[in-house]
Amino acid sequence: MIFDTIIIGGGLSGLTCGIHLQKAGKRCVIISSGQSALHFSSGSFDLLNTLPDGRSVSDPVQSLDELQVQNPSHPYIKIGKTDFIRLAEKSQQLLTDASISVGGSYQRNHYRLTPFAITKPTWLTMTDYVSSDQPDSLPWKNVCLVHFTGYLDFHPDFFQGKFQELGIKVQNVELDLTKVSIRKNTPLEVRSTNIARLFDNEEALDNFVRLLAHKVGDADAVLLPACLGLERTNIVNILSRKLGVEVKLLATFPPTVSGIRAQYLLKQRFMQLGGTYMLGDTVNKVDFENNHISKIFTVNHGNIPLRGEEYVLCSGSFFSEGLVALPNDVVDPICGLDVDYISDRKEWFASDVFDQQNYESFGIRTDETFHGIKNGQAISNLHVCGASLSAFNALKEGCGGGVSMLTALYVAEDILRQKENK
Amino acid sequence: MESINKSDNNFEQCLKCTICTVYCPVLAVNPDFPGPKHGGPDQERLRLKMPSFYDEANKYCMNCKRCEVACPSNVRVGDIIQKAKLKYSRHKPSLRDFFLSHTDLVGTLSSPFAPIVNKVLSWDVTKQVMDTTIHVDKHRIFPEYSHEKFVSWLEKQAGEQKKFAHQLCYFHGCYVNYNFPQLGKDFVKVMNAFGYGVQLLEKEKCCGVALISNGFAGQARRQGEVNLRSIRKAVSENMPVVATSSTCTMTIRDEYPHILNLKNADVRDHVELATRFIYRMINESKDFDLSKLKFIQRGHPLKIAYHTPCHLEKLGWEYYSIELLRMIPDVEITVLKPNCCGIGGTYGFKKENYENAQKIGEPLFREIEEGGFDLVVTDCETCKWQIEMSTSKKCKHPITVFAEALTE
Amino acid sequence: MNEYDVIIIGGGATGAGTLRDCSMRGLRTVLIERSDIATGATGRNHGLLHSGARYAVTDQESARECISENQILRRIASHCVDETDGFFISLPDDDLSFQTKFVKSCQSAGIRADVIDPKEALVLEPSMNPAVTGAVRVPDGSIDPFRLTASNIRDAKTLGANVLTYHMVTELIRRQDAIVGVKILNVRTKETSELYAPIIVNACGIWGAHIAEMAGVKVSMFPAKGALLIYGHRVNKIVLNRCRKPSDADILVPGDTICLIGTTSTKVPFDTIDNMYVLPEEVEILRKGAQELSPILEKTRILRCYAGVRPLVASDNDPSGRSVSRGIVLFDHEKRDGLKGFITITGGKLMTYRLMAEQATDLVCTKLHIDKKCETATVKLPGSREDKETILKKLYSMPSAVQESMIYRHGEMAEKIATNNVVNNSLVCECEEVSYGEVSYAIDHMDVNNLIDLRRRTRLGMGTCQGEFCACRAIGILAKQKKIKPEKEKEELVTFLNERWKGIKPIAWGDSLRESQYASWVYESVCGLSKNNKDLTK
Repeated sequence: MIFDTIIIGGGLSGLTCGIHLQKAGKRCVIISSGQSALHFSSGSFDLLNTLPDGRSVSDPVQSLDELQVQNPSHPYIKIGKTDFIRLAEKSQQLLTDASISVGGSYQRNHYRLTPFAITKPTWLTMTDYVSSDQPDSLPWKNVCLVHFTGYLDFHPDFFQGKFQELGIKVQNVELDLTKVSIRKNTPLEVRSTNIARLFDNEEALDNFVRLLAHKVGDADAVLLPACLGLERTNIVNILSRKLGVEVKLLATFPPTVSGIRAQYLLKQRFMQLGGTYMLGDTVNKVDFENNHISKIFTVNHGNIPLRGEEYVLCSGSFFSEGLVALPNDVVDPICGLDVDYISDRKEWFASDVFDQQNYESFGIRTDETFHGIKNGQAISNLHVCGASLSAFNALKEGCGGGVSMLTALYVAEDILRQKENK
Repeated sequence: MESINKSDNNFEQCLKCTICTVYCPVLAVNPDFPGPKHGGPDQERLRLKMPSFYDEANKYCMNCKRCEVACPSNVRVGDIIQKAKLKYSRHKPSLRDFFLSHTDLVGTLSSPFAPIVNKVLSWDVTKQVMDTTIHVDKHRIFPEYSHEKFVSWLEKQAGEQKKFAHQLCYFHGCYVNYNFPQLGKDFVKVMNAFGYGVQLLEKEKCCGVALISNGFAGQARRQGEVNLRSIRKAVSENMPVVATSSTCTMTIRDEYPHILNLKNADVRDHVELATRFIYRMINESKDFDLSKLKFIQRGHPLKIAYHTPCHLEKLGWEYYSIELLRMIPDVEITVLKPNCCGIGGTYGFKKENYENAQKIGEPLFREIEEGGFDLVVTDCETCKWQIEMSTSKKCKHPITVFAEALTE
Repeated sequence: MNEYDVIIIGGGATGAGTLRDCSMRGLRTVLIERSDIATGATGRNHGLLHSGARYAVTDQESARECISENQILRRIASHCVDETDGFFISLPDDDLSFQTKFVKSCQSAGIRADVIDPKEALVLEPSMNPAVTGAVRVPDGSIDPFRLTASNIRDAKTLGANVLTYHMVTELIRRQDAIVGVKILNVRTKETSELYAPIIVNACGIWGAHIAEMAGVKVSMFPAKGALLIYGHRVNKIVLNRCRKPSDADILVPGDTICLIGTTSTKVPFDTIDNMYVLPEEVEILRKGAQELSPILEKTRILRCYAGVRPLVASDNDPSGRSVSRGIVLFDHEKRDGLKGFITITGGKLMTYRLMAEQATDLVCTKLHIDKKCETATVKLPGSREDKETILKKLYSMPSAVQESMIYRHGEMAEKIATNNVVNNSLVCECEEVSYGEVSYAIDHMDVNNLIDLRRRTRLGMGTCQGEFCACRAIGILAKQKKIKPEKEKEELVTFLNERWKGIKPIAWGDSLRESQYASWVYESVCGLSKNNKDLTK
């Protein structure tokens, strides 16, 4: 099988890279060993929330100079300020282009409410979700807070507490899904995806509206847990219209409907542009020849290799097995690239689980243009992007989404540039 | 390298991320099913504690393997549930389960009387009786039996087939043999066009997938051993073994070692789906001349919807079937969204599952009806039955479409 | 009420057992425990129902005590006991002549010890090291210390006893040459109060030295730390011991859904006993020992590790503490130190708790001139009073795995758990099959004050994800049932997650590290939880 670019890893980074390359006319294949970490997304994407020293960031671009001082190896510093701005804009455009409607700007962080009703800064938030420009300032005086009986992954009391703190009057409405459902019994495990599927049915939605309509009262907005809109992406608008009041979603515990939808839409876009997506397959052999990759083999395709001119490794972090931690080593299990990590395992962790954990910054070493390095030599046709990269802490810096997308676009452009120069 | 430092206890790799539950087609419609994560890795730890923890509701698992495809930790969730069913279930298979799964037996008995059997099975009264007595849902349409078995037909061509420079063995499966020899004939036509003569395996039994899911592990193992013996013989004579059914292929390659503990590592790579075999031949070997293939000029485009059967999605080989279709001139291919058709082999025939099976397939049926397609194409015979029964479209195998596009 | 017949300090198995015994003999008793029940050595050991074989060679008395209690506990605490049997295996490095001595010693202590052909042993326990050269079968078992302690407490409470968890003793009230009561502090509300009784029982394990000090008497104990590892699932059905002189990491115990390897023995300073951490060296020793017993453990996921402190009463100069008699130590301080109204019961091990309680209660009764005999060896504990078939008939029809779980954990007490609707049958902890009804019941009836207590009573959070999802669900239920204030929910989660991290950090590689990363992303990144739990805008 011959492709222009072979992308190993089908999450946010891989799909962003693939979409960009397909648009430029490249024939790409994405190989993904399973569904991605995007499934746990909160409905928002983070660009840069906190500097390494702990200071809050409200304007990511302005903070880049300080970031360079504190961590000159950060992927954003490798990208450089001009490209950072350009690629951040492009990332937002890419999401919108894939029918993922988001609000926000790279110029200034806005604020989202987490499933625990904690206010956090962020870069882009899906338009159906509660968000605000200023922290702790929501536009309503009176809200109707809906939750579902037996749905344990949503805590209305957290939100109640938050709204009261902000001086917003809250009407709590608990709905029994058995009254909405057209099924005989409700699921043993009431999950966000099951509930979302329920509401994809017109009859169920109408039942829901009927039950809710007379409880809305004089509320400015109806707020629901984000258990809507798996298939029907405009369902919040429909609901809003039927109820005659603004409807917004509150983030839930994962797996999230927003994450599943984002993954689906990005994959859809990639395939619409002609890309091939191979789900449920794992790369198990990479053939190197003179510092470049000649071909790769996967579990499913066995003795039929995949050959590409260019390769992109965006296999994620430990969760996705892009990095593997042995008792005393950290390795890249796919290409065997050089990994930046600390050899003494005691140094990987802090005693308090909420303190900075060094292992979060481990990752694959790359050169100035994100080429992977093997035994000290850069591999000419292999780029690395996304969570697999070293020298940043997605958790503490709040930059996961941004690194995934910006490095992916940078790599895609570098590939196109390299091709032109040939 | 599957993964570094992994235990033989594959279920331990599960991180409880619950992604599999999102993609399970059964869980989406049947709340009584514990779900892949729970019925699989969660309850496996409990079952190891005490066998009485086995939950009979795991019978609702269709063995579609979509959980495995979705899993980011490479947990073989479907296998864990199948093995648990066989090991712990106290449910005794019924007469109905026997008839639905012993396809060789039923096929051998029905084939000689095909015209009568087909007629009787098509009557409403027969369906009603089966519904009431043995709980085979009355809505189900049975595939027709063929009076002449495929093996009989191929045996007649043996002389001609031996003349080809290259030879392969065809694992035809029950459907082609007892119900639809035409697909086998199409396969022979296509392989001949590629310069391959087609032979039968020394002895072929049903692959056993229905036996496994209905609890007849012993019988499945016995049949598997026969098949592997024949496959080994073919391989020792330098003949690849090629199948047209995606489920038979998956069963022989993966279910044999994972579920039935039948070792097949020595021959697994020699058992392939036809479309993959063709792909490899065209793209990887240097001495195949594509210009030898002559296609009928249709003149107007044929709008095809390609449906990926669940087991083929697990194999990861839909790519080959789609590439094969792309070789045909004047064909517009739309790859349908990855949705299960709902039949799950013998699953959808059972009265207690019928409604759910149809609910599972509903999004697929809708996409087919709304797409304005001329034809649906898929590699799995049970998907074909389900799609033809539940939509207005005809459904053909990629090999058939390819064969029909070739000039004589 | 603040006047009792007996005040018991310490909520481990010994204290709980003494509470029960005293209550059964009609005494008005109260138990004071500074944390939750079974948080000392009781909750941090092997969970092994010793046959006593391990002590047979060096300490016949201990061995006899063990086998006798072993048989008693199987009767009275059947729902806490897993009758697994045990093997003492010899590997190529072990001297087979030890086996002969071993078998003889067992027999003379009254412990059944059958020499089994190694090949047969491998068939019976396939996870065993295939290089096994000798095997002896003994009546070992495994026991759940949390269930055991909770069951004793429950029985005592039914008989009128009072239990004050999260209460600390700040002072022993002394009048001349007698202890007459205790000053206590409610750790959660900071309220203080005084309780009085003619007898105070010091049943605090290693912390007993401190209590004794408060009383003005000297009890010389030294803390001996033992570390253990918990593997992800139940690899062996039968307890595996090494047939040699007792050493580190030579017992692999199956328990509920897991198996664990232990232990080590290192003397540690007193000021560390409230904050035990497992060291990388200890992890290595344990892994090595485990893999020798069962090679598959090399690749088996480790869930967490923990360390406990043995209450060893110093009696000779052995630095490791292994050869110290595991015997029961009962001090009548009136006789020993001239201090009335105060006794200490310590030493011993988890499975001789009942005997320890009997001895302590006998002494209490003598001092109070009560003539009642101990019946704890014959009266079954709640949870063990009905057989499974009887219980099954009484439970509403519900999903079988949930039903099995409830009965396994609570015996006939499961009949009190609500199972009447979909919500009550829905699962809070999916790894260990803990239903909403069970959680609700535990919160209301089993002295649950927080997530960690809940974990001990129901196994919520003891599965492979170590509480990732269920913690979040359970916190909502705790708030709903008014056990924690809504504004404290997040703080409670932070405490729980850190407690969990303590046990995972030393073994965080492979899948355990993946799990930890996933949990961090979900709780910290998605949900926004943080150390001081303030909004990150400040």
